[in-house]
Amino acid sequence: MEDRVLALAEARGAQAEVFCSDGNLTTVEFRAGEFHSQESRLTCGYGLRVAKDGRVGYSSSSNPDRIEDLVQAAIDTAAYGKQCRFEFPGPCVHPAVKTFDNRVIMLSAQKMIEWGRELVDALRSRLPELKLDVTIARSYRETALVSSAGLDTRFSRAVLELYATGLVVHDGLVWISEYENLSSGAAPAIGAIADRMEQRAILARSRARLVTGSYPVIFAATAVPDLLSPLLVGVNGKQLEKGVSPLGDRIGQKLLDEKITIADDGLRDFGTRSDPLDAEGVPRRRIPLFDRGVFTGFLFDLATAGACGVESTGSAARDYSAQPQPGPSNILLLPGTAQLDEALAGIREGLLVHECIGGGQSNVLAGDVALNVSSGHLIENGKVTGRVKDTMIAGNVYEMFANVAAVGDTVRDLGSYHVPFVMFPALKVATRD
Amino acid sequence: MDNLKSLLAGALSGLVSEYADIRIEESEHAAIVYRGRELDQIGRSFEKGGCIRVFHRGNWGSASFNRVDDKLPGLARDVAQAVEALPERPESLGKSPALTDAVTVPEADDPRKVPLAEKHALIKRYNDILLRTAGITTTMSVYHDSFRRTSFLSSEGSFITQETVYTGFMCRAVARDGTNVQDYSDSFGKTQGFTSLANREPLVERIAKVAVDLLKAEPVPAGKYDVIIDPLLAGVFAHEAFGHLSEADFLSTNERMRELMKVGIRYGVDDLTIVDDGTMPGERGSFRYDDEGTAAERTELIKGGRIAGHLHERQSAQRMGEKVTGNARAISYRHAPIVRMSNTYIEPRAFNIEDMLDSVERGLYVCGSRGGMTELESFTFSSQYARLIEHGRQTKMVRDVVLSGNVFETLKSIEMIGDDLVMFGGLGGCGKGGQSPLPVGLGAPHLLIRNVVIGGR
Repeated sequence: MEDRVLALAEARGAQAEVFCSDGNLTTVEFRAGEFHSQESRLTCGYGLRVAKDGRVGYSSSSNPDRIEDLVQAAIDTAAYGKQCRFEFPGPCVHPAVKTFDNRVIMLSAQKMIEWGRELVDALRSRLPELKLDVTIARSYRETALVSSAGLDTRFSRAVLELYATGLVVHDGLVWISEYENLSSGAAPAIGAIADRMEQRAILARSRARLVTGSYPVIFAATAVPDLLSPLLVGVNGKQLEKGVSPLGDRIGQKLLDEKITIADDGLRDFGTRSDPLDAEGVPRRRIPLFDRGVFTGFLFDLATAGACGVESTGSAARDYSAQPQPGPSNILLLPGTAQLDEALAGIREGLLVHECIGGGQSNVLAGDVALNVSSGHLIENGKVTGRVKDTMIAGNVYEMFANVAAVGDTVRDLGSYHVPFVMFPALKVATRD
Repeated sequence: MDNLKSLLAGALSGLVSEYADIRIEESEHAAIVYRGRELDQIGRSFEKGGCIRVFHRGNWGSASFNRVDDKLPGLARDVAQAVEALPERPESLGKSPALTDAVTVPEADDPRKVPLAEKHALIKRYNDILLRTAGITTTMSVYHDSFRRTSFLSSEGSFITQETVYTGFMCRAVARDGTNVQDYSDSFGKTQGFTSLANREPLVERIAKVAVDLLKAEPVPAGKYDVIIDPLLAGVFAHEAFGHLSEADFLSTNERMRELMKVGIRYGVDDLTIVDDGTMPGERGSFRYDDEGTAAERTELIKGGRIAGHLHERQSAQRMGEKVTGNARAISYRHAPIVRMSNTYIEPRAFNIEDMLDSVERGLYVCGSRGGMTELESFTFSSQYARLIEHGRQTKMVRDVVLSGNVFETLKSIEMIGDDLVMFGGLGGCGKGGQSPLPVGLGAPHLLIRNVVIGGR
């Protein structure tokens, strides 16, 4: 089918690229400790991008009966399209990366339900008051790309993930979430997940108070993505092209603390966004973003790279129904040397943050964050005591990461983020106490 | 069509299940987006796919797919087997008659017949109106249309084909004076053809004017005010704050809300009637049959000030012992339907806006909605702008007017209901359960509400 679409577009005098995504998603869900649903979603669609008379046109279809119309629509839109400042890439050797395991592909929905039930049962006996939601999702996707430049390739990825969210009603609502990336094919460590949830549910039983002020704050690995995501808006080549990135002319400058090294790695084995090639057929690679605090570069797809006069970094992401955009793959924050116990021991009064809500509601492009701590604990004389309520951390991530007290020595796999804990010496914390 | 029917019937035949249905959808979309002077996006897309649902011993299973071919029977069997393996639950489906019907869209309303160049010219013309208004620094203008044909076949013998069209546009204007940046947006859209979008220049001109006027508006001091809310904000209130509480899938999982929403409980004056009606011709939330094959209906949610009904799919109706209301809707073939509103509005009564102004000594005339949040019976809505009312007269424009309160208290505080119902559709829609935007309509006449808590920003 891809070849037929390509041939039809070329017959109308266009250079063309056909992207096909063919996949399936199976989801099993438990709500409030009860099995809720099993659903599957089989998706197959085509995106056609053409370059005609120096302009880009696009159309998409999941309807194989409308291939002629798909080609005509892409050609029609090219008349209004953006100037084409790139060339479709040709064939290349796929870099080595493990993106699927047969155990994941062959896994039955029954087995997924069994795992969910095991987790529900494990927690029901320990914490009868906990209302547990569990989602286990397995996705498999095959991507095919053909182009007028001779590209003709396909690659696939299987991802298996477990999400658990527990609700404890105790002096208000407390949400406790857990996540496991199971894409490498190993069975979930149900006992360990239950242990972590139990530990936090027990801590949530005692209420602790912190008055508004400036404190040392440890962001547990689970909360670090909330701080990294605004940086990823800044490093996006689309923002550079539009002239709005705060990092515009700052490559080579030391902007963050030297303990901070961040990379985008599309070639991490079993990363949830790993692929040998990006969605335009450019090889994935490991892209340094910040090296010991120094800003080292942006993420580009073909169009933004062309507009900025550089090469694509292999960062194109897309679904068949939309044109590619640059975006992060797996984000790594490299580990430091600190152990959590030692970091806690050095704090007389401070905050340990596990989960936040409200990321993305402020001016993220400028790096502003206003995070509502939905799960956080008071640290008193080196010990984690009770749960804090109604607590906000507002600030600017560029300023926060410019002064870091410690980075943890152990990386947590959160799917598309691989991060340790980060400790800040002093952040403004607002509470109602 | 007979081919499709026999393909679908073949997929469902031989399943050992209490109930099954299959829905196939073919659709075509056009979208054009201007940002400032730049044409940011223009495209057409074609979709075809479907969704199989199986119900057995109290459990649902579903699968969506793109390939409509001879593999469907295998997929249906897989879903049925998965459902069979589940522990039994005490659930069953409410009654909905088996129907055969074919609903078509008049050719004059079919947006596929309009060349892309005409659609582009329309949205560019509206965008240019914004751009040439003094004080406007940037804009966003969006055109969208879709044509959809669904075929629904159930194991109970229903076979319904239904065509739907949507056309609409949205314009947003940003005005700037130094560091003071204000924006205003509005949209127009219905289940009608492309011609319904013509001659909307007054709407677009108003968008630009309000954005510029907002530069001079001051933030409103927080406090309690008597407010007159315009039909748009009143409609958003009816949908967001009250309508969602009427959705039975939500009620069936929340005991306390089920008590609060019991039929017969009084929450307003005798004049207050709130309705959800999927049968209104041409409105954005209208349809003939829902995605379970039940005919759309008019359902009174509040009548004469008292709770009168709830919105249902087949399962929730059975669970609550009420009538199926035809509110099972899915945004596309990728999803199984869930309980959703259609066109939700407050019925008009006798008062005109002058009557309302006369009875306000000091208050606010509050217009439009910038969105908000609801959590059970609490709501917070940001309006788009407001005017102070002093001694019964509208005076200066104010901004950052945020209304909050308890929906039941607020319904009780509605004192006057206007005679000027306006229905709104637009381009957006409602989001729920990961399905957004679902086309809905909403509306109301002007309302006078006493003692509303207004927070400045």
